[in-house]
Amino acid sequence: MPGNTGTGRPMKNKIKVFRAMNDLTQEDLAQAIGVTRQTILAIEKGKYVPSLDLAFRISRHFRVNIEEVFQYDEAALTIDID
Amino acid sequence: MKKNTFYLVVGCIALALLAIFWYSVELHIRFLAEAAFVIAIGIIYLIRKKVTDIIDDERSARISEQASIRTFQVFWVAFAAMSIGAVMQMLYVPTFSKADFEELHPREILGPRMMGYFQLGLLCLMIFLYVGFRIYYARKYGDWETDEE
Repeated sequence: MPGNTGTGRPMKNKIKVFRAMNDLTQEDLAQAIGVTRQTILAIEKGKYVPSLDLAFRISRHFRVNIEEVFQYDEAALTIDID
Repeated sequence: MKKNTFYLVVGCIALALLAIFWYSVELHIRFLAEAAFVIAIGIIYLIRKKVTDIIDDERSARISEQASIRTFQVFWVAFAAMSIGAVMQMLYVPTFSKADFEELHPREILGPRMMGYFQLGLLCLMIFLYVGFRIYYARKYGDWETDEE
């Protein structure tokens, strides 16, 4: 489900996939980057779009580029504009 | 300090505050209740900083921020409307056919008791608005989402 950045632009993420690949629970990831488990859950479910700082911290934790974890949904944006 | 200890201390402060309020009402010492309230809130803020197991992350900060902004946006309108009414009462200078006007609308000035009720109403409105908006934004930003984990 696409999240809302507050500007009406959708954002997707693959945190759940990366967590599974790294064998991490939401609690583990939350503790590692200094947020609550509820925040990780909200981001995964697309209810909350993290700040750039938090997005970088998450992707750095998985040792990947930010765009591998977070994707900007251009298609949905085009639909919005139309 | 642990979170539960903090809540326990807050409960004790609230009880002490209640006792002071009652005492100040009985003795008609308004200043005592006001000073006690300010001191109590100051103590709670100081203790809150010592709590180690409450994580204030950006999502919770955003929920508080959004709830505060929306509360302010609604509350200031209610506050301004009531203040305008109060200012009109204070000024009370009808320029059109003053004699007739005063006959039709005898001057009514809000007494201190009524002003107190209005203040209480505004205070309750502010609290209800904040709690309501907080619940709304907490829900919006996934506070009650459940997961398989």
